[in-house]
Amino acid sequence: MRVLLIEDDTVLGAAVRDQIKADGHSVDWVTRLDDARDTLSAGIFDLILLDLMLPDGRGVPFLKNLRTSGAVTPVIILTALDQISDRIDGLNAGADDYIVKPFDLDELSARIGSVARRYSGNPNPIVTLGPLDIDLAARSIHRDGKAVALTAREWALFEAFVQRPGQLLSKAQLEERLYSFDDTVDSNAIEVHVSRLRKKLGRDIIETERGLGYRLGHP
Amino acid sequence: MTAPRSLQLRLALALGLAVTILWLAAASFTAEKLRHEMDGLFDAALKDAAQRILPLAMHSRREHRRDEESRDDERRDRRGGPARAERIARLHKDDRFFTWVVRDRKGETVLRSANADKEAFPPFTREGFRQTATHRLYYDAAGRDGLTIAVAEPLSHRTAMAREMLLSLGLPLVIVIPLSLAAIFFAVRTSLRPVRRLRADLAQRGARNLAALSDRGLPSELEPIVQGMNQLLDRLRAAFEAERSFAANAAHELRTPVAGAIAQAQRLRAETEDASAAERAKEIETTLKRLNLLSEKLMQLARAEGARLRTDTPADMRPILKLVVDDFARIGAAPRLHLEMPDEPVLSDLERDAFGILCRNLIENALKHGRTGEPVDIALSQAGILAVANACPPVAEEDLARLTTRFARASDKKDGSGLGLAIVRTIAERGGGELAFASPIPGKPAGFEVRFTLPRSEAGPA
Repeated sequence: MRVLLIEDDTVLGAAVRDQIKADGHSVDWVTRLDDARDTLSAGIFDLILLDLMLPDGRGVPFLKNLRTSGAVTPVIILTALDQISDRIDGLNAGADDYIVKPFDLDELSARIGSVARRYSGNPNPIVTLGPLDIDLAARSIHRDGKAVALTAREWALFEAFVQRPGQLLSKAQLEERLYSFDDTVDSNAIEVHVSRLRKKLGRDIIETERGLGYRLGHP
Repeated sequence: MTAPRSLQLRLALALGLAVTILWLAAASFTAEKLRHEMDGLFDAALKDAAQRILPLAMHSRREHRRDEESRDDERRDRRGGPARAERIARLHKDDRFFTWVVRDRKGETVLRSANADKEAFPPFTREGFRQTATHRLYYDAAGRDGLTIAVAEPLSHRTAMAREMLLSLGLPLVIVIPLSLAAIFFAVRTSLRPVRRLRADLAQRGARNLAALSDRGLPSELEPIVQGMNQLLDRLRAAFEAERSFAANAAHELRTPVAGAIAQAQRLRAETEDASAAERAKEIETTLKRLNLLSEKLMQLARAEGARLRTDTPADMRPILKLVVDDFARIGAAPRLHLEMPDEPVLSDLERDAFGILCRNLIENALKHGRTGEPVDIALSQAGILAVANACPPVAEEDLARLTTRFARASDKKDGSGLGLAIVRTIAERGGGELAFASPIPGKPAGFEVRFTLPRSEAGPA
């Protein structure tokens, strides 16, 4: 999943970025709304984490504009404004969740997962694919009852497929979701991760459409 | 006697009293003056009568004596005297209030008016006016003959005249004074209409409306007062706003760095391989969370004390309670929370954020002090009563009273700020709601219940 983090506090921003990265997602972090607008126009994001008090403006009008312009990207507000009225304003502006600082990073991860699942059309974190029992919330996979360990990147890639069952994802799309602008991506990184997933979860888990991309298969 | 508090009544009374006294004083003065004049006139009439009757009496006596001398003694008729006296009396028929006697040198009555009462005439001593208990008299003497006259006028006559005069002076006053009083009352009432309007304006707005007062149509005396008050209201509004934004900004300024520090401590704990370093990171995190909790409560208290706690338009309180309960549910309290709310909106003009803070503190308190694993019942009734109840041993009476004091904790072992219920009490007091504690819960052997009655909007449900 590719996340845009809009937060001007460098200490908190760094910790959040590291947390999301550790979860296997890619993060682009900006500290100003102007930069956020530029970044949004350049790339596709699966989720936006939005602070409400930024050096060059307020988050709520920014969010309203985003929604008016037709963007459906899920938005989670991360803010120090803890009043009920602020929260109502934020949710009414089109936020999907509202987290008051300070928060637990694990809770943030859980909320990100929950919002992402709701957007994928299946809020249920438990998914069964053939011999695979997948718990998206607990980030665990069992194959025939035995736990399978995935790295964060492998998880992120696998999650991208699970959340879009049957959908064809190009290599470029997958790179965009897995890597931020700052990451240096090896040209064959996606192929390497796909092959590792197949090794751990079964050959048929991911189908290749030659020249077009990959989609979730039927193991 | 203390003066009445109402300016209108005070003015009306003072003016009415002054006018009444002045009217009465003027009437008394006039009466006294007139009476004096009247006495003069009456005295002059008395003197005039004496001076007119005496020569007549002398003349009549001389005629009589000449008759007696020229005629025989046999012709003397005792009836002649009185007959002549009656004639003279008849001459003075107009002077029907006067009686008179004419006496000779020896004091013998020579002549007298028909209705003269001898007792009313003390003997002659000198010329001039004399007064007895019943009569005003005038004495006159006529030269050589040694004849004296005393003319008397009963005092009752003068008293009657004076009474009549007083009546004719006083009767109009009986009508004029009440009329003037009514006129004064209405004039005062009309003049004070702007004051009443100002009072009504102030009374109906209550403590929460800090909008400027209208100075339209105000008398010049009141203008500086209203202007002064508007300046004060402006300053008050600015102070409230400043305090409000200070509390909000301070919360923001504190929250963000604390959030960063907590998040970094958590990352450290997640990334380190060293078990003791992870343990220390956890300690830092715990301390930071406690610091955050305390600063949050202080900010809530500042907000509750500084901000306006009532709004101009009533709002439904159910979504706020729901949001707060959802927050607690999200951090794992869901199985313990039992929420009951009516289907109809529960309207109140309590500030939404204040109600949010109040709900948060009550639920937090119930979760913290309720027996672990036992449910916390949260019920909002259609009548606007929020009841939060938890299971616990009964709380002693004196502890109940102490609960809302700052930094008072129900039990020493619990980890809390000791500010939660103080914040709730501040919001209840300043927002105009009612707060009641009960332990044990009515109808149950134990437990603790807080009931908060929401202030209802003065305008009624919209």
